[in-house]
Amino acid sequence: MSSSRDDFGIAFRSALLQRGAAQKFSLISLIVLATIIFFLDIYGFGFMKPVRSIINDGIYRVSLVASSPSRFAPQVTEGFKNLINIKEENKRLKQALEVYRQKELSVEYLTNQNKNLRKILESDETLFQFQSNTILSKVLIDKSSPYLKSIIINRGSKSGILKGMPVLDKEYLVGRVVETNYLSSRVLLLNDLNSRIPVTFGGDGVQAILKGNGEAKPILEYLPEGYIVEEGLEVFTSGKDGIFLPGSPIGITTEEGQVKLFSESSQLSYVKVDFSKQKKEVF
Amino acid sequence: MANYKVISKILNLGPLILLYYLSISEIDSHFENYFEILSFNIQLIIIYFWVSKRPELLGSGHIFLAGLLNDVIMGFPLGLSSLAYLVVSLVATYVKNMTVNTRITTDWFTFFIAIIFSNLIFFILLSNFSEIGINFTEVSYNTFFTLLFFPFFWVLFTYYNSIITTGKNV
Repeated sequence: MSSSRDDFGIAFRSALLQRGAAQKFSLISLIVLATIIFFLDIYGFGFMKPVRSIINDGIYRVSLVASSPSRFAPQVTEGFKNLINIKEENKRLKQALEVYRQKELSVEYLTNQNKNLRKILESDETLFQFQSNTILSKVLIDKSSPYLKSIIINRGSKSGILKGMPVLDKEYLVGRVVETNYLSSRVLLLNDLNSRIPVTFGGDGVQAILKGNGEAKPILEYLPEGYIVEEGLEVFTSGKDGIFLPGSPIGITTEEGQVKLFSESSQLSYVKVDFSKQKKEVF
Repeated sequence: MANYKVISKILNLGPLILLYYLSISEIDSHFENYFEILSFNIQLIIIYFWVSKRPELLGSGHIFLAGLLNDVIMGFPLGLSSLAYLVVSLVATYVKNMTVNTRITTDWFTFFIAIIFSNLIFFILLSNFSEIGINFTEVSYNTFFTLLFFPFFWVLFTYYNSIITTGKNV
């Protein structure tokens, strides 16, 4: 019994402290170092913010370069496929054209609905006003994670980006800025577990909170008591938080009380950061 | 002969390059478009396998650095992934010290212990010390699928190891 305990102790100590021929550091020293870095970063000591910002900017750029083959390969494959299957491509394009025609028809409908909703919200601010106060940004990294749903964009504090600013894909809200570096920023997407957005929907202007659940469709919470969500209602930002402008379209309700987002978060290439509402850092 | 040595050196760097590349690139192992809950952590498998089989190919310093890179890309607090990776490395080293011959089943079981410890530390630190909220179910699914895919990568890496080991003996 005591021999087995001794064996355990020896093997464990050896695993922690031993440095092999190729090992320059012992595991224990690196574990301690990682713990120190973790707590320094968590408790946000003053000097850590610029350090982290510089590290982030540098690594995001390297990551962009490192990811280019993985971005390039699907494009090449797609081009090759298109060359071979030109008929198939033509058929697909015709179908796509039909979809766009249908979308064109729905744009008019959406514009009218937006106008009506703005009247409901009694807001002077219009969607068109805030569109002029946006800055176009390229999505640098959109690495999918089972835990966090976020993207990195190529605009940072140098371009005037502040934490909390809304981010749009065309006119659809996709998330908000949660971290700013000098040359890049991190955007928390609407379906992230940590995302909460005040929204309004339906003819009665029902107020709710759109809560990310880590899945494709975020859920509606804090609905009026006994309210049953109907399918197909369009969901807009309510602007109650003072961060988002009212009337930005988000998605359509489903029967389960979820919202099918207008913008597919995995397909983002360029997004717009809205400057119009927020003048100072709120987070 | 000189060419052979260069090729052999590059082959030996394979696991390290793969670990760094997976940490820094956009390539991910989260297949939500195919199956929403399907995600696994290849980095943990790489670390466990190569630390337990050929620790000289994957230094602890590199594992630590790959963890830091992963934290920056994923938006986690710095040092969190490093800790998780080093815990896996610790268990792998311990198992290597305690055992002589291992089979796929024994490796699979000990890997289970390693990822349980690793993900537990990851989850506890993130939920207690960070403002980032993560779902325990997501962590569980990730752990489950990482464990499930381990034998596949074990076979793949064993084959790769046999290639570079044969080269070494020659």
